Amino acid sequence: MTQQQTNEAFWRWQEYQRVMPNKSWTKNDIITAGVDVGSVGSKATVLVNGEIYSWSITRTGSNSSDSAAKALNWALKDTGIQQSDLKYIIGTGYGRVNISFANKALTEIACHAKGANYIWGSQVHTILDVGGQDIKAIRCDDTGRVTSFLMNDKCAAGTGRGMEVFADLLKIPIEKIGEMSLNITEEPPSVSCTCVAFAKTEAMGLLRKGWSKEKVLAAYTKAMAIRMSNLIKRVGLEPALVITGGQSKNIGIVSRVETALEVKCLPIPNWRENGIDPMIAGALGAGIYAKAIYDKTQTTRD
Amino acid sequence: MKNNTQQEKDHPSKKIMPETTLKEIKELNTTIKTTSEQIITQTISHLKKINPNRPQEMEYFDELANMFGKRTQELEQYKAEGKKIVGYNCIFAPLELIIAAGAVPVRINSGWYDTSKLGDRVVPVEVCSIIRSTIGAKMIELSPFLELSDVLITVLTCDGMTKLSEILGGYKKVWHLSNPRIKDSDQALKFWNEEIKQIKNNLEKLTGNKITTKTLKPAILKTQKATKAFRRLQNIRKDNAVISGQDALLVTQTFMWDDIERWTEKTNILCDELDRRIQAKEWICPPDTPRVMVTGTPMFWPDNWKLPSLIEEGTPKGILVADELCSSERLLYDPVGIDEWTMTDMLNAIGERYLMACTCPCFTSKDGNEDRINWLLTKIKDHKIQGVIYYVTRGCMLYAMEYTTVKRALDKINIPVYYLDTDYTREDTGQLKTRVEAFLEMLNTQIDL
Repeated sequence: MTQQQTNEAFWRWQEYQRVMPNKSWTKNDIITAGVDVGSVGSKATVLVNGEIYSWSITRTGSNSSDSAAKALNWALKDTGIQQSDLKYIIGTGYGRVNISFANKALTEIACHAKGANYIWGSQVHTILDVGGQDIKAIRCDDTGRVTSFLMNDKCAAGTGRGMEVFADLLKIPIEKIGEMSLNITEEPPSVSCTCVAFAKTEAMGLLRKGWSKEKVLAAYTKAMAIRMSNLIKRVGLEPALVITGGQSKNIGIVSRVETALEVKCLPIPNWRENGIDPMIAGALGAGIYAKAIYDKTQTTRD
Repeated sequence: MKNNTQQEKDHPSKKIMPETTLKEIKELNTTIKTTSEQIITQTISHLKKINPNRPQEMEYFDELANMFGKRTQELEQYKAEGKKIVGYNCIFAPLELIIAAGAVPVRINSGWYDTSKLGDRVVPVEVCSIIRSTIGAKMIELSPFLELSDVLITVLTCDGMTKLSEILGGYKKVWHLSNPRIKDSDQALKFWNEEIKQIKNNLEKLTGNKITTKTLKPAILKTQKATKAFRRLQNIRKDNAVISGQDALLVTQTFMWDDIERWTEKTNILCDELDRRIQAKEWICPPDTPRVMVTGTPMFWPDNWKLPSLIEEGTPKGILVADELCSSERLLYDPVGIDEWTMTDMLNAIGERYLMACTCPCFTSKDGNEDRINWLLTKIKDHKIQGVIYYVTRGCMLYAMEYTTVKRALDKINIPVYYLDTDYTREDTGQLKTRVEAFLEMLNTQIDL
């Protein structure tokens, strides 16, 4: 039991909440929210007049509605904004249909494109979203409207969950995994199988053979990056490319995707300072759509 | 239920399926049949619930949808009267000849999810879902239509159908119908016409009825009328949202086992009601609902019905206004065209209708399967389609491989197409829902900012 608990710590990523500095709101502002309940993480954003005000990133529990409420309450914490001040809430992500307090549900595909457009601007035309249980390659126009997309099968191969399993197996904290996978003298061949169950077996074999953790990690990360790059190739890469979701912070993945596609991704904003965390792209897009749809309901009423 | 020893006597050396005990057959048959009847009832009442103003004349098709119900009793009655039942696995089977010989045609492809898992005992899981499911249905004698068939016309279109024919051949008399893979050559048509003639001879031997101009002409007239009723329904769907895609699919689906004349009459009555609804402007969805078309692997009742419901019942909602499926639109779109009612002319016309008009991906030419592309482009224009879902079940190689060509053609006219792959399972519904909804959001102009 103790052993298991120590293991757990490796894949456990940091939950946190952020209120953007130097911003304020009044009762006359239009405040909206977006809640993205993914299979692994639940994210919430609060927007004031369509501008990001605060957000939270939490782990998804067994109940989608509870996870959504937890994320939203946390995003509202220390802002003075009450849930009753929110004019419109959009739910997205795998658990979107179960968010009882949302006014509307949109798919994470539409929301990620819109969110990426907000974070990086209109030059974004291709988005790779690496979620907990699936990966999506999305193409969009200058306004962040989806023009085409592809999703992998329901399978942990190449997903955030797959990375968690590897962090656990190799006993490396998930935040360090990217750097460590690059800490090698020569890039090893990728593992032959991206299926998490089989890749785990293969990795254990490689460790026994005397490979370093870094080398095994590099081989697995490379296999994942190739899988992601192929999905992007299939949807058709149109620069600029960005990566959203938890794996956008995995430098090992990002650099290998860049190598495979021979293109640079737009750099992720410094989210530890004032930048927006690419993990919230979906929830952010939902919040933006919430504002737009709320505005529309007002004009039709007038 | 026929016992195994009897089957062995009929076809001693050809049994391919593993031995299944009578007890297991009986148990599985009862469980799956009970579940299936429940699902049929649920699906029908669900269709009524989601559309309270559903056309009343759908009632006939609702009842027909229970494959274990009245129609099965009717077929049993025919058999008791000495009529022959001819099962077929593909729309290449010449219905007119079957009818002219005084036999009853019925399609035997399986739409049961549960039986596909039984099929895994016989063939690898990579094999097409429809094939695995049909094998499983035979294993536990689930399909009344397959069981009642005196003979099966198995068309050798794809690899799956070809080998399925061998497996079913262990239990039923099977007549192969081999189609050429190229249409536009004299020898192909000649070969095909010979195949058709062979089926005619076989039918005459089976039934003891000679097919003459006197019996063939009314049979052709019968299917021509069915085609006409079908086209009437499709034309209504072109411009008027008075019937859901799910209901329209149910109408075409039931054609596969109903009496053709009665089906034609009921479809016309339904169209009369739809015409009245057009007059009264009783639309089933708002005018800006995205108009979707489905193409790809055929879909079979009762289980494999998830895609139409995902399209029409998600957030946002779309409307399925056309398809290019051999389980629906392609069944009946083309009539047999006759110049003169002589035997030679009629047989040639039948041969031509089944071969030349078909857009199945088993065909190729120096320009690829261009008939299918042209057909899709026409349909998209006529039905004002905004997006196409290219639907493929696991192991359906021909449709999967033809996607690239179709996508290229649709890209040229700026029609978005989404490749949706699935299997005979309920487990992936959540994933499919996200894909379909994201596709509909893409088509929907309402979320434009």
